[in-house]
Order: sequence, then C-alpha cells, then structure tokens
Amino acid sequence: PEVTNDASRAERPPMQQYIRHLLYTSLCKTNTERILRQIRKLHWEDREISLYAVKCLTSVWNAKFYNIRCIANLLAGLIAHYDWVGTAVVDGTLEDIRFGMETNEPKFNQRRVAAIKYLGELYNYRVIESSVIFKILYSLITFGVSWDPGNPSTYDAPDHHMRLRLVCTLLDTCGQFFSSGASKRRLDCYLTYFQHYFWFKKSVYSEEEFPWQVDHLVQDTIVGVRPKITMFKSLEESQNAVTALNKQIVDKAIQNMPSLKQYFGNTDEENEEKALPTIPEGDDHIE
Amino acid sequence: GKFKKEKVQAPPSKIVIRKLPPTFTEEDFKNAISPVPENNYFSFVPPDKVLGTHAFSRAYINFLNTEEIVSFRDRFDGYVFVDQKGNEYPALVEYAPFQKIPKSNHNKKDIR
Repeated sequence: PEVTNDASRAERPPMQQYIRHLLYTSLCKTNTERILRQIRKLHWEDREISLYAVKCLTSVWNAKFYNIRCIANLLAGLIAHYDWVGTAVVDGTLEDIRFGMETNEPKFNQRRVAAIKYLGELYNYRVIESSVIFKILYSLITFGVSWDPGNPSTYDAPDHHMRLRLVCTLLDTCGQFFSSGASKRRLDCYLTYFQHYFWFKKSVYSEEEFPWQVDHLVQDTIVGVRPKITMFKSLEESQNAVTALNKQIVDKAIQNMPSLKQYFGNTDEENEEKALPTIPEGDDHIE
Repeated sequence: GKFKKEKVQAPPSKIVIRKLPPTFTEEDFKNAISPVPENNYFSFVPPDKVLGTHAFSRAYINFLNTEEIVSFRDRFDGYVFVDQKGNEYPALVEYAPFQKIPKSNHNKKDIR
C-alpha cells in the first residue's frame, strides 16, 4: 500500500512547506546568507523538524541543478552552528549515491546526477575531504562492474553509460582542484583506471557505434581536469597502463612494508634490494 | 623543503548498518542488536518513503573499541531483521564512507 506523491504533497504541514520553499524556491546565489539565517532559526531541537530539514538538505534533486551549489554553500555555513547536520547530510548523500548504484533504474538518473553534483560541491565548500571524493570515484568504476562481456552486470550493464556520466559530473564539479600534492597524484592514477573503464565500455560496441555524446563528454572532462594529458587511444593501451600502474603501486607498498610481499606472489627480484624500510612519506594530507 | 605535521590516520571506527526494515524505529533496532556496542555516536535514519520498495532504514555507530567491529560485522552483516509483519530484511554492515562524526551534541542551542 503506497501513498502516492500527490497525496503526500497535499498533506504537507506548513513547516515542511516552509523549509522546502526556502531551500528549493527562494535560495539562489545572491541570498544564501539570508536563507541561512532563516534555516538557523528552525527549531532544530524538535526531532521531527530537524529530520525533515536534513532530508531536504540531502534531497537536492528537488532544487534547480544550478542551485545545488547554493545548498552546499548554505550547509557549509550551517555546520558552524549545527555540526551534526553536516554529518547527517553527507551520510545521506553517500547512501543515495550507493542506492543509485544498487538499483540502477533509469527513473532515478536525474536524482543520481544531482546527488553526485552535490557531493562535488560539498568538497568545494570544504564539507568533505578529497578522500571521500576518491572513494566514490573508484566505486563508480568498480561497484558491481563486470569485466567479462560474457557475464554482464545488472548494476552496470554494458550499454549503460550512467557511471561515465556520474564520474564526469563529479570531475567537472571539483576535479580542477586536484591539481597539486597528493590529490593531484591520486587523480592522475584515477584517470588511468577511468580511461580503462571507458575503453572497456567502448569495446563492447563495434566501431562508430558508441554514442558520440558520451565519447565527447568523457574526453572533455578529462581534458578539462588535465589539459596536457595524452589520452589512451585503445583498450589495449589503457590496459597496459593499468597493468604498469598496478605493478608500481604494489612495488611501492612492498618497499614501505616488506612483509606485504607474501600476498603478491612473485614480483621482480630487484625489489628484494629495494625492500629496505623507508620513512613513510606521510604526504597524503598535503592539499 | 616544507614540513607538514604528520597526521596519524586512525583506523576506521564508524560503521553503517543498511537495508533495515523501513518500519523499524530506533528502539526496534536497538532492541534487535542489544547490547548496543560502546560508542560515541549513534544515529538512526528512517527511510525516504518516496523510494517505495527501495526504502530502508539505516543506522550509524561510531565504535569506541574498533576491535569489536569485526565481531559485530560477523554477527549482523547478512543478519535477517524481521519487521512487525514478519517481512525479512537481510542487513548490510559496512564501514561508513564518511568517517567523520559531529563534535557537538545534537541539541546544542544555536544563538540565533
């Protein structure tokens, strides 16, 4: 027995209508401070109101796409007064992104793009750190992904391009800030894996049949975050790059912690010599 | 060269229990997992009803003793929670992708 949207809309109490009005109708670039003051005045100690406000701050697909950044900006301001709201909204947004990957129904596509856009904006407004962004970037090209064309995945069917669109939306939103230090190196690594994922998607199609819009979207996004990049030109080329990168990462891990060697089988003999304990770089947090 | 203060990365301590019965209350959940592990953050989130058959409750717990996480996971990952109508909901236990917990109390008053 499901309540239809229309029925619940008609029954919405005034306080809920007010919160929705503030966030989804009034809020824009020029009045964020004023709307934030209104939002702060809500009775946050009332569980029903605070639950609803958190829900609205999470459900950004109800806002205009362009205004998603304003909600992120507002949330960043709200955290100074209500720290726990930030945690609840970020947790909720990540749950929604995960939910989208698990259900993979076209009717949720717009919601999924909005949620991923929001995540990028939450990074831009310093609500979350880059490590969260990278977790999501990697999950988008791994969660339920099948690399075996004979055994396709329902989470990410061979002819679905939603994951590509989501990665591009996220990188378009905040990727330009991963330009120095550890986050730059992390993005460089990611782009190698991402291009491999992209070429694998493309390889399912015969030549010229892959939608050119998706092709352009991915190329524009990668060039947008790395203008000087030389992109891989085939599945094989990207596969080789991934193999080389994997080896590099394993070698470095073993170098830092020789006891890991047992888990990786036969690596090159020369690593034996390099396997002296080294001082951890500890530069993961320089950003 | 530049020296940065090296942050020691703490092991993850915040877990999420997903796919709980949509009709569950916080009390239902706490009773079902009793005793609730020692924690400094507990949050129960009711479902987004718009999602219909995809609507689930979920809960977050930040463990004080991270050694307890594995046994909690072994016990409740895949554990079938049952709602009042007898519907079965196998839960998922995972590290929360966002490990931060709020510094302040829920009900701290804002000086507006």
